[in-house]
Amino acid sequence: MIEWIHPGFIYIFGAFLVPFLKGRERLKQVYVLLLPTLAFVTLILMSKGVLLSEGKTWIVTFMGYELILGRIDLLSMVFAYVFVIASFCMFLYSIHIKEDWQHVAALVYIGSTLGVVFAGDLLTLFFFWEMMACASLFIVWYGKTKSASSAGFRYIMVHSFGGVCLLAGVLIHLQNGGSLAFDSFTWGIGSEYLGIYLILLAFLINVAVPPLGAWLADAYPEASVTGAVFLTAFTTKSAVYVLIRGFPGVEMLIWLGAIMALYGVVFAVLENDIRRLLAYHIISQVGYMVCGVGMGVFGTAAGEMAINGSTAHAFSHILYKAVLFMGMGAVIEVTGRRKLTELGGIYKYMPITFWLYMIGAFSISGFPLFNGFISKTMVVYASGMWGYSTIWLMLELASVGTFLHTGLKLPWGVWFARDTPVCEAREPPLNMLAAMGLTGFLCVLLGVYPKILYNILPYPVHYEPYGAGHVIAMCQLLVFTFVAFWMLRDKLHGTPTITLDTDWFYRLPGKWVIRFCKGPLMAFASFMDRNVMKLAGFFVWFSKNPFAALKIKGEETRLKMEKPIAASEEAVKHERDLEEIRKRQPEREPMVRLNIGTAMLLVLLLIAVYLIAMLIHGWLVT
Amino acid sequence: MKITMRVLFLLLYICIFVSVLAGILAQLYLHMHLFFWWEEIPVFSAVYGFVGCVVIIVASKALGHRWLQKEEDYYEKR
Repeated sequence: MIEWIHPGFIYIFGAFLVPFLKGRERLKQVYVLLLPTLAFVTLILMSKGVLLSEGKTWIVTFMGYELILGRIDLLSMVFAYVFVIASFCMFLYSIHIKEDWQHVAALVYIGSTLGVVFAGDLLTLFFFWEMMACASLFIVWYGKTKSASSAGFRYIMVHSFGGVCLLAGVLIHLQNGGSLAFDSFTWGIGSEYLGIYLILLAFLINVAVPPLGAWLADAYPEASVTGAVFLTAFTTKSAVYVLIRGFPGVEMLIWLGAIMALYGVVFAVLENDIRRLLAYHIISQVGYMVCGVGMGVFGTAAGEMAINGSTAHAFSHILYKAVLFMGMGAVIEVTGRRKLTELGGIYKYMPITFWLYMIGAFSISGFPLFNGFISKTMVVYASGMWGYSTIWLMLELASVGTFLHTGLKLPWGVWFARDTPVCEAREPPLNMLAAMGLTGFLCVLLGVYPKILYNILPYPVHYEPYGAGHVIAMCQLLVFTFVAFWMLRDKLHGTPTITLDTDWFYRLPGKWVIRFCKGPLMAFASFMDRNVMKLAGFFVWFSKNPFAALKIKGEETRLKMEKPIAASEEAVKHERDLEEIRKRQPEREPMVRLNIGTAMLLVLLLIAVYLIAMLIHGWLVT
Repeated sequence: MKITMRVLFLLLYICIFVSVLAGILAQLYLHMHLFFWWEEIPVFSAVYGFVGCVVIIVASKALGHRWLQKEEDYYEKR
C-alpha cells in the first residue's frame, strides 16, 4: 500500500513526459491539465485520511539525515490547495502554447513550490527553494526578448544570493545547536541568532520586501504572456508560507509589511508598463500578508486572527492576481502592446476580457462579495485588535491605492481613455477566456461563501466579514476613491518613462564594476600576468641547468663589456660561441601545454573519481 | 454613449448618497465594535478614501517627477 504520493512529485516527474508528447497537441493539452487534477485528487484523499493525513509526516533517510519531505498540517494543506487549484487555471490559460519546455519549466516550478510547502526540515526546504528559483528563471527567459534575458540574469543573481543566505543560515543555525526541523524559530538579539537572521533574510528576499524586492517588478513583466501568470503565484506566496511557519509574531515584520503595502502603491502610480504596474501590486498585497505574519503571536486571539488573515489573503491573492495577469496578458496577446501610453479605447473589441478582468480588480480592491474583501479585512481587523493605529491607517490607505490603480487607472487607460481605439483588437483564444472565467468564478464564490475558505484555515475563525460596519466603511472608501480618481483622471495618464527602483543599485553600479573590470583591472591583470610568466619562464630555463645558465649569463655580460673594446672579429666569434652554448639550453622546449579549462576538467574528474571511490568504500564497509 | 454615461453618473450619485447615509444611520442605530476613535466619525471612510486617493496621486507624482522617473532607455544609455 502506498503511504503517500507527494503532490509536488506528480508535477516534477510528470513534467518530463511532456516533451515526449510532441506532435500530439490534443493529448498534451489533456495531459497538462491532468497533472493538477491528479494532485488535487491526492490532496482530497489526504484530507479524507486515505493517504497521509493531517498531523503526519513522511520521512526519507538520506546520508544519515532524516528528511521530512511531507509535513501535513492545516497550514501546509491550505497553501497546497490554492497552489494546485491555481495551477489548473493557469495551465488552462496557457494550454495553447506550443513550447513544451515552457510547460516543463512551469510544472517543475509548481512541483518545487509544493515541495517547499510540505518540507518539514531545513535541508529539504533549501533543496526545493533552489529548484524553484531555477525553474522560474526559465519561465522568465521564455519571454524570449533581450530584456527578458537580462532581467532573467538579474533575477537569478538575486535569488542565488537568497539561496546562499538560506544555506549559510541553515548551516550556522545547525552549528549553533539548532535543530534541523523547520518550525518557528526562537527569535532574539545577539550573534548566536546569526543563522536565523540569514534565514529570515532569504525569506524576505523571496517575499520581495523593499529594498530587497526590486527583482519582482523587474523580472515578472518580462516573461511571456502565459509565463507571467505562473510567476505571480508561487515564489512570493511560498515565501509568505515559510514566514508564517518560521517567524510568526516577529514585530519587525508588521512595519515591513505595512511599508511594503504602500511602497507598491506609490510605484504603481508611476508605472507605464501594464504588467509591471500589476507586479507592484503584488508587492503591495504581499505587504498585508507580511504584516499579518508580524502580528501573528502564538496563543493570542489577535495573533490567530492575523495568521488566519495572512493565509486567507494569500489564498485569495493567488486567485485574483492570476485573473489580473491573465487579463493584461490577453491584451498583450491580441495587441502586442504592453504600455499604457500605447493602449486605450479598445473596450468595444474585447468587452468579455474587460469584465473578467474587473472581477479580479474588484477582488483585489476588496469589494464586498469578492474574495479580497473576506481576507484583506481580516488582517486590517487584526491590526485593530492589537491597537496598531498607524498600521491600520497605512493598510487602509493601501486599499485606496489598490483600487485606484488596478481597479480604475489600469482598466481605464487600457480599455477606455481615448474616444477612438489605438489599434485593432479582438477577444483572446477561448481557453484564455475560460481560464479567466474559472478563476474569476472562484474569486466570487469565495467572496459569497467565505466559509469554504474559513473552514480550512489553520486556526478557528471568529470573524464575520459581512458585518454592517465593515461593508459600509469599505463601500464609502471605494466610492470616494472613485470620485477622487474621476476628478484627477487626467493626471493619471501613463507617461513614457521607467521608474527607478532599488534594482538601480545593481544595474548601474554593476555596469560600472564590469566596465572597471574590463578596462583598468584587465589591463593591470594582463600586465602582471605577462611579467610573472616571464619571470617563471626564466626560472624554468634557469633550473634546467643552473651551471650552464650561469655561464651563459656570465658570457653575455662579458660580451657586453668587451664589445666596445675588442676587435669586431673577435666579438663575432665570441657571439657565435655563445650561440652554441645557448642552443644546448633552449628557451622553449617541445612540451605540451594544456589550457586552463582542460586542467580544471582533469581536476574535477579526479575529484569525481575520488568521490565515487569514497562512496563505494562507504557501501562496502557498511 | 451619452445615455450610458448619464446612467452611470446617476448610479454614482446614488452610491455616494446611499453609502454616506448608511454610514450615518449605522453610527446612530447599530452598536458596532470599534477599535479607534476616528471610526466613530460617520463618514470617516469616505473622507479618508477621497483624501487618501488625492494624497497618493499627488505625492507619488511629485516623487516620480522630481526623482524616480527616467527616460525609457535610461539603463541602456549608461
